[in-house]
Amino acid sequence: MNPNYLQLFRALRPETSLILGALAALGLDLVVVKRHTLEERLRLSLWIGAIAIAAAMAHVWLGQRGSVFGGVLMLDKLAVATRLGALALALLTLGMVRGARALRHPAEYVAIILFATIGFTLMAAAQQLLVVFLALELASLSLYILAGIDKTRPESSEAALKYFLFGGMSAAFLLFGFSLIYGLTGSIELGEISRQLAVQHVSPLLVVALVMILVAFGFKAAAAPFQLWAPDVYEGAPPASAALIASASKLAGLVLFTRLLWNGLGATSGNVVTADGTPGWLPMLAIISGASMLLGNLGALAQNNVRRLLAYSAISHAGNLLLGVIAVGQGRNVWPVFFYAATYGLATVGAFGVVGAIDRANPGGCRSLSDLAGLYRRSPLLAGCLAVFVLSLAGIPPLAGFFGKFAVFAAAFRLGGVSGPAGWLALLAIAMSAVALYYYLLILKQALVAKPAEPVQPIAVPGVTVIALIAAAALLVVLGVWPSLLLDFL
Amino acid sequence: MAQLLFNLFAVFTLVTAAGVVLNKNVVNAAMCLLLTLVGVAGLFVALNAYLLAFILLLVYAGAVVALFLFIIMLLDTKGDQRPGLKHLSLIARAIALALVAGGVVSFFVRSRLPEPSLGATPALGAELKLYAYQLFTTYLLPVQVIGFLLLIAMLGVIVLSKKFDGLEDIK
Repeated sequence: MNPNYLQLFRALRPETSLILGALAALGLDLVVVKRHTLEERLRLSLWIGAIAIAAAMAHVWLGQRGSVFGGVLMLDKLAVATRLGALALALLTLGMVRGARALRHPAEYVAIILFATIGFTLMAAAQQLLVVFLALELASLSLYILAGIDKTRPESSEAALKYFLFGGMSAAFLLFGFSLIYGLTGSIELGEISRQLAVQHVSPLLVVALVMILVAFGFKAAAAPFQLWAPDVYEGAPPASAALIASASKLAGLVLFTRLLWNGLGATSGNVVTADGTPGWLPMLAIISGASMLLGNLGALAQNNVRRLLAYSAISHAGNLLLGVIAVGQGRNVWPVFFYAATYGLATVGAFGVVGAIDRANPGGCRSLSDLAGLYRRSPLLAGCLAVFVLSLAGIPPLAGFFGKFAVFAAAFRLGGVSGPAGWLALLAIAMSAVALYYYLLILKQALVAKPAEPVQPIAVPGVTVIALIAAAALLVVLGVWPSLLLDFL
Repeated sequence: MAQLLFNLFAVFTLVTAAGVVLNKNVVNAAMCLLLTLVGVAGLFVALNAYLLAFILLLVYAGAVVALFLFIIMLLDTKGDQRPGLKHLSLIARAIALALVAGGVVSFFVRSRLPEPSLGATPALGAELKLYAYQLFTTYLLPVQVIGFLLLIAMLGVIVLSKKFDGLEDIK
């Protein structure tokens, strides 16, 4: 192979600008650390981070397309869209950081968010098992640190430890699965793996490898029965960290695994259009998806803590997203699931941003649902934005969440009607959406209707966070009314 | 001869690996890990991957296990007293064991592993020069990414473990 380093560097310009941003944030913070307050240092780091992400977005938009460096990365439309989406979600997360409770290490916080974003952008384009694994770990390692960065609260450390142990375990599973795939096919390139698997029959060893990979996928996506870490992490981590864990990492991870499963292991997909018992990963994925929908939605009904409720809602959405992965189908129609993941990410970032702002204003933080009471009087802006985010999560038209759900369910029905597992799963998803409406409306009832028990203070939200919240809400409305805006680009 | 060596090292690796998990004393578990790594290195030697075997012994058996022992000594752990088995966890263990046993049995009954074609794929870890060449050409991107992975790990350790006295400047 004749390596073309310049081409690799050009393809990695977005990552380079993120790295430079992270290093600049760390370096400049060292210069100003003595003379400035925590607030000023945070503002400086956030500006550097925002500029780095904006530069990365420009590079992605204007950068080259196609296969890079002998097929290590694939910069197709899906990769570009995912990179832009993950960068936009990271940018919104930076806006939410400003509105949440200030942390002890602002520059490190921003730098690690940028490092996690590098992991996401690499995940979006990776075409080689080694890069897949490393990009995933780059993002995961950053997210473990982000979950535990609030050292003033023991819950944060607990969240980080649980996330780390579960994540490390799932990484081991993934690596084991990858090594079996490599042993079976003799290659770590997705294209070559797919060619090799197409001429092999489904051997028990391959089934073991598929189970390993799906277990790891389930952990990363917080799908049942691997969801145990999610409620504790979403509750304990700082809200902005939880926002990143739930949004950009979901989007990038989903695209990564969609690519891995369909482009790499597509020959062994099995069958869910009709229940004929063909072995493969699709039936396994269908079971995980159905379990997540049931467990997520029914578990959320019992929650009294806003963040735990959002975590269970994330589990149920993971079920829908997996249905979307199933619905990609042999026609490789990835746009429904991409649209779903992107709009779900927008709504979740916003919801955690609102939770973070309330968390900062309340002396006792934002824990139970009753902490939201009277939000419409304390800050009409937060209440209005929260309504948009929550209704989009619930899938109420005309918001983007509705169109995402509609597209995914329609794609699932198009596979084979209601005569097979895919159709049954879509019916289950529709029924569960009705259940979900109940707990989403519980949040809105507290925020918009309920009277607070004691007199409350208005909430002051920093300007940057206001812009980020309004941008997220506006995007949800615009994409809901006009989904072709995103779909035409793709 | 090669088959005999493989069986020898494979059994040795499995037994010592079980020792890592089952040992209640942490130091003994770490020593078992050392032996496991030696067994794996032996397997690599049997595959003509001398470089990998050497790196495994040097980095893992030498440095990583030594670090484990350091940490165990620093924390002064004696190994935990395992709580008695509850009814439910006993049932869960039985089911899990049955599932794994079923999987292993069906694997042995039904599996036909493809014949290894070692001659066709040269072991890249065999020769140092080839290995280094691959690192800087085909696998350049993974190497770079690992660099940042280590940077993040370092940053995380510093941020999470640094002690600070007053919290007065957190508003």
